[in-house]
Amino acid sequence: MAAGGAGVGNKTYSFKVVLLGEGCVGKTSLVLRYCENKFNDKHITTLQASFLTKKLNIGGKRVNLAIWDTAGQERFHALGPIYYRDSNGAILVYDITDEDSFQKVKNWVKELRKMLGNEICLCIIIGNKIDLEKERHVSVQDAEGYAESVGAKHYHTSAKLNKGIEELFLDLCKRMIETAQADERAKGNGSSQSGTGRRGVQIVDDEPPNAAAAGGGCCSSG
Amino acid sequence: MSQKSERRGIHVDQSELLCKKGCGYYGNPAWQGFCSKCWREEYQRARQKQIQEDWALAERNKLFHCNSSCSVSVSRVRLQREEEAAYASSQGAQSQPSLAPFSKFEEKKSNEKTRKVTTVKKFFSPSSRTASKKESQETKTPSPSISRQASMETDRVSRDFIDFLKGLQKPGREIHKQCRAFVESMGNKKDLSAEELSECVQDFYQNMADRLLSHFKGSTERVERVMDQVEKYLMTRLYKNVFCPETTDDEKKDLAVQKRIRALHWVTIQMLCVPVNEDIPEVSDNVVKAITDVIEMDSKRVPRDKLACITRCSKHIFNAIKITKSEPASADDFLPTLIYIVLKANPPRLQSNIQYITRFCNPSRLMTGEDGYYFTNLCCAVAFIEKLDAQSLNLSPEDFERYMSGQASPRRQEPEAWPPPAGGSPALAQVYQSLELLSGLGARQERVLEGARRLEGDLIDWRAGVEREVQDILDRHPLDLRLPPASAIDSDNVENDRLPPPLQPQVFAG
Ligand SMILES: Nc1nc2c(ncn2[C@@H]2O[C@H](COP(=O)(O)OP(=O)(O)O)[C@@H](O)[C@H]2O)c(=O)[nH]1
Ligand SMILES: [Mg+2]
Ligand SMILES: [Zn+2]
Repeated sequence: MAAGGAGVGNKTYSFKVVLLGEGCVGKTSLVLRYCENKFNDKHITTLQASFLTKKLNIGGKRVNLAIWDTAGQERFHALGPIYYRDSNGAILVYDITDEDSFQKVKNWVKELRKMLGNEICLCIIIGNKIDLEKERHVSVQDAEGYAESVGAKHYHTSAKLNKGIEELFLDLCKRMIETAQADERAKGNGSSQSGTGRRGVQIVDDEPPNAAAAGGGCCSSG
Repeated sequence: MSQKSERRGIHVDQSELLCKKGCGYYGNPAWQGFCSKCWREEYQRARQKQIQEDWALAERNKLFHCNSSCSVSVSRVRLQREEEAAYASSQGAQSQPSLAPFSKFEEKKSNEKTRKVTTVKKFFSPSSRTASKKESQETKTPSPSISRQASMETDRVSRDFIDFLKGLQKPGREIHKQCRAFVESMGNKKDLSAEELSECVQDFYQNMADRLLSHFKGSTERVERVMDQVEKYLMTRLYKNVFCPETTDDEKKDLAVQKRIRALHWVTIQMLCVPVNEDIPEVSDNVVKAITDVIEMDSKRVPRDKLACITRCSKHIFNAIKITKSEPASADDFLPTLIYIVLKANPPRLQSNIQYITRFCNPSRLMTGEDGYYFTNLCCAVAFIEKLDAQSLNLSPEDFERYMSGQASPRRQEPEAWPPPAGGSPALAQVYQSLELLSGLGARQERVLEGARRLEGDLIDWRAGVEREVQDILDRHPLDLRLPPASAIDSDNVENDRLPPPLQPQVFAG
């Protein structure tokens, strides 16, 4: 069923993607641009911008994408695991003009690894607001180098100018489909892969489940 | 604010939510309004009676072939017959292809589970298996005398389920059979922990959904539609045995959260940065509705119905935010507002409800759907409230302590605090809009008062009129008491014993 967004044949894939990142980096703007093609628009018709969905057709495969906005304020940071459990993908956003927000992304990567271990979802790192290139405080080299070192894809976007957004979601969806198909094949083989089905968080407190397992990188970049 | 919302009236009387025995715990509709403790006492009494009744029924029907928990099976047998009878009418038209894979339903191995919902609860129940098992040995089968209302609802849900399944022809019958067998099997699993009960139900959902998926050739929408009905049928029946079960400390956690929220009564909208201006009547309307919705969750039995309450609550929150900010709410707006609503509502048995939904809701609803998003936020709100400290409210530790201990309460913020100094026309426009609304309200209040005065006058006139009429009638028909015809003196023995004894004939001996 919809669990894990796995699908058979012509079935529709359902994916859950969470947006993580400091406040004001542009998470809400990115998703409103993607789903409504609006930016800072007073005439937005949707009642809310915290849970948005988009239907896609990728090479004949139907995808229902659910995008979960998260509260970015520091005092809500500890709630992260409740949001990202059972997600198929995570989009980690920073603002290229804000060094601190990039540091926050690094913290998120560490936390996801620690909390999810082997079961880590696909994650993508986004440097937003490239229309403010002259105020850039995070160098392209640093950002892309870091992403590569943890096995994550990196994208540059501008919600304001609608740059890079379609591409990043399309790429994420393609990779989530691949992961789902791989899960399914493993399931079909009857191999005792007890882990694959139960993605999500297995622990309550701060102790990492199997921190050593994080060696493979943040994302199983497939 | 708190005074305001009280005045506007949330029509949920706290006393209605409390245990009928008045012990101070929350009552539970499934326990006839008692808390679990008082319910057990009440139930012990009723149970004796019920066992006798069931014995009698069983003897009569010669169906009594198990020596324990028979009370359960007897009433089930009756139910089963009723449901079978209800189905008999549809049996004629069964030329449709049967749902082939269902015959091997039970063989389905569970090792290919892709269920994930079990991970969710780990956040909230590190140790849910603390209470002694012995206590739960007794079944919670309610006596016929005290659970009529609940069983009426169960019957209605069963009928609806059958009606729905009839539309599916042969597979419908198969689904019904599986569901009924499953409910029965759950009756024999009373000493399982809550986690194990959840596993059973989730396995059943998973197997059923897999079968349906191949039957409907991959149409997830049709599968979902059937699964919603399956959940409704199963959980209406299982509710009283698996909601806040005695094997868990759910009830203790409920009380802890309830106490915690009470202790936080001083938290203001400004401390949480809630982007909602309750001075706008429409906004405070939505706030009150959101509070009512989240309180209402406790009264539902089906997990999805409980979820729907959370979703309605969230929509009212979004309305309140949109009216205040005139832009769609983001998670940064929504979560603080939801926290505020939960603090204001102090919803009954919050932990039990969250646990119940987590354990027994159809996982696809919880994982990716919109309802799941709002539910997750509610979980976040509760987690935040439990952990909340000075820092989370931008207070100094000293202030926080003083507020918590009740030594001081935060100064009420001046209304100028809202709207924020935007220095633009939108804020001013809003103020004018509010003023306009207020004066409109004033005029309406005048009209209401005017109406009340008129009504009062009418009532006085009416009373005078009636009196006049009565007097008229009395004048036209003067009182004419006709006494009943005289009867035998001792026909009624009033004060008979005070009379002197009757004279006895005396015999004079010659
Ligand atoms: N110049 C520029 N500003 C942006 C961009 N994306 C978002 N913003 C602005 O950044 C601020 C915060 O955006 P928001 O979407 O609310 O961030 P969030 O807190 O992460 O959800 C708003 O004022 C946006 O208008 C962008 O691509 N370019
Ligand atoms: Mg936002
Ligand atoms: Zn009681």
